[in-house]
Amino acid sequence: MGSFANERSMLTYIIGATILFLIGVFGTAYLPFYDDQMQVPNENAELRNFAHDSAEYRGREVYIREGCHVCHTMFVRPVLADSTLGPISQPADYYYEAPAMLGSKRTGADLMWVGNRWNADWHREHLLNPQKILPGSIMPSYNYLSEQDLEDLIAYLMSLKPSPQTEGRPVSN
Amino acid sequence: MYRPTKIFFYSSLIWLVVGMLYGLILSLKFIWPNFLVWGPLQVYLQFGRIRPVHTNMLLFGWLTMANIGALFYVIPKLCRNQLAFPKMAVSLAYIWNFVIVAGSIALTLGYTTTTEYGEWPLWLDVVVVLGIITLAFICFTTIAQRNEKQLYVSLWYFMGSLIWLPGLYIIGNLPYKLLSGVPQFLIFWFYGHNVIGLWFTTVGVGLIYYLLPYLSKNPLYSHRLSLIGFWTIATFYVWNGPHHLQNGPIPMWLMKAGIIPSVLLIIPVWAVLANVFGTMKGKWHVVAHNTPLKFLVSGSIFYLITCLQGPFQSLQGPSSIVKFTDWVPGHAHLPVFGAFSYVAFAMMYYVLPKITYQNIYSEKLMETHFWMSTIGLLLFTFSTWTAGVFEGFAWIEGAQYGLRFVEMLIAMQPFFWIRAVGGVLMFVAQIFFIINLYKTIRLSKKTQNTNESTA
Repeated sequence: MGSFANERSMLTYIIGATILFLIGVFGTAYLPFYDDQMQVPNENAELRNFAHDSAEYRGREVYIREGCHVCHTMFVRPVLADSTLGPISQPADYYYEAPAMLGSKRTGADLMWVGNRWNADWHREHLLNPQKILPGSIMPSYNYLSEQDLEDLIAYLMSLKPSPQTEGRPVSN
Repeated sequence: MYRPTKIFFYSSLIWLVVGMLYGLILSLKFIWPNFLVWGPLQVYLQFGRIRPVHTNMLLFGWLTMANIGALFYVIPKLCRNQLAFPKMAVSLAYIWNFVIVAGSIALTLGYTTTTEYGEWPLWLDVVVVLGIITLAFICFTTIAQRNEKQLYVSLWYFMGSLIWLPGLYIIGNLPYKLLSGVPQFLIFWFYGHNVIGLWFTTVGVGLIYYLLPYLSKNPLYSHRLSLIGFWTIATFYVWNGPHHLQNGPIPMWLMKAGIIPSVLLIIPVWAVLANVFGTMKGKWHVVAHNTPLKFLVSGSIFYLITCLQGPFQSLQGPSSIVKFTDWVPGHAHLPVFGAFSYVAFAMMYYVLPKITYQNIYSEKLMETHFWMSTIGLLLFTFSTWTAGVFEGFAWIEGAQYGLRFVEMLIAMQPFFWIRAVGGVLMFVAQIFFIINLYKTIRLSKKTQNTNESTA
């Protein structure tokens, strides 16, 4: 083992580990901010750029507080499994979103364009008693939300629609 | 003299039980969405709120504290000196416990930054970063003042992890309202993936390399392999974030930049496993009678399975089926519980007799702990993997929302049941674990007292 003289120096590891880490940070966390495709807003992004005093904005805060993003994605892919969900997500759709909630798990359905799917009454009934509208659903009931929170949340969900101009990317495989 | 290790170990056990209890509630809510919906519990045990409590508590309460306790024991041993700043190390344990409590309360009340595994509010992140820097400072000082010239492989892994964790945590928890859009989401996953890859994995592998020669009584098989393993992990792991946006709204160059390194990760995992199998050569019979070794070897094998699964599901085709399904929690439990919690169990069973001067109370309880955990984990993972594949194909058939989506969920109920049963087994196993350790500690206190009185 004595032949590895450089293994007696902590510096080899500290410098090596730091440099390799920074290269990865540069590639996957820093460079994306300079990609043209990801640095332009589109019509959908404008529709989701809510004024801070709007019901939609407050509804989004309720959505985050109650952890809706834990079970619902907002992420339509160019694959068969997402074929009936609406236009395919593009980087520009999320331009103003902070934090962006693309999600990682679909315990419930995708909500990217849920405003197109149901009306406000449906959302109200469904939030208060999911099993009444969708028997067998495992969504929890949000009947504990205040009337204001419920109104705001519904306004937010209803706002999740593609702009009329959106075509989306074509479905591959 | 082992006070920091003891405090970290004992606190980690509390978070292990509480965190798994949360997990159990989550799994039962898949069967009965109204489970424990009663008065204020409806709000504070709501699925969306307790899921991050479960993950953060187990990642940072249980596994991180167990790892830090292990570092405080192993680093001085490998350096043949004492831990630097033991008092600072003890206060770190108290601060860390405070962070877990405060973080869990914040999440329960609905304060979340939505970064997966980094949901705690910003002011707590500042405390965490200071804590991590303190940890790195203590460990690096101990290594710098070592009496042993050679830096054993485990120390490389520990040094790497202690450099990467603060970097990861700071970048991943950047004020989330400052940045926006997909680039910010990429930062989420840069953090989310690498906190597993460059903290839990690298500390865990370091601990495997430390424990295995002791438990198998064989020298480490290949120095060169461990070298290859370390530098390839350091090179490829950081690049894995973008594969979480496979088929997503990112440009092609980024997708490739995420997927190619994900596949290349087969190299370091192969290097580690070749080393483990090489070291075990001629000693496999020992596994039958040595529970800590059983945990260590099974943990290594679960690590191998995880790291073969990962590259597979990062590819475009498999991802289009299993992404977003219950396959994912199955995959996520494998490294965190199956691989690195197993290493931590082995570590505690090995270290506690050394620091309490008392043999582990019951071999039988240890065996029960192993078998119940393993059977529970296998039920959990196989049910979620199978359910995930079915869900993926149901979506392809058009069950993407509304009634058809719910029909698919109803069809998945048997799998949710099996997962819950697996979860119960995993949980009860830890109760046996803790009873065993508690009895061991109690016995050691008794014998120490009698020693004092006779002297």
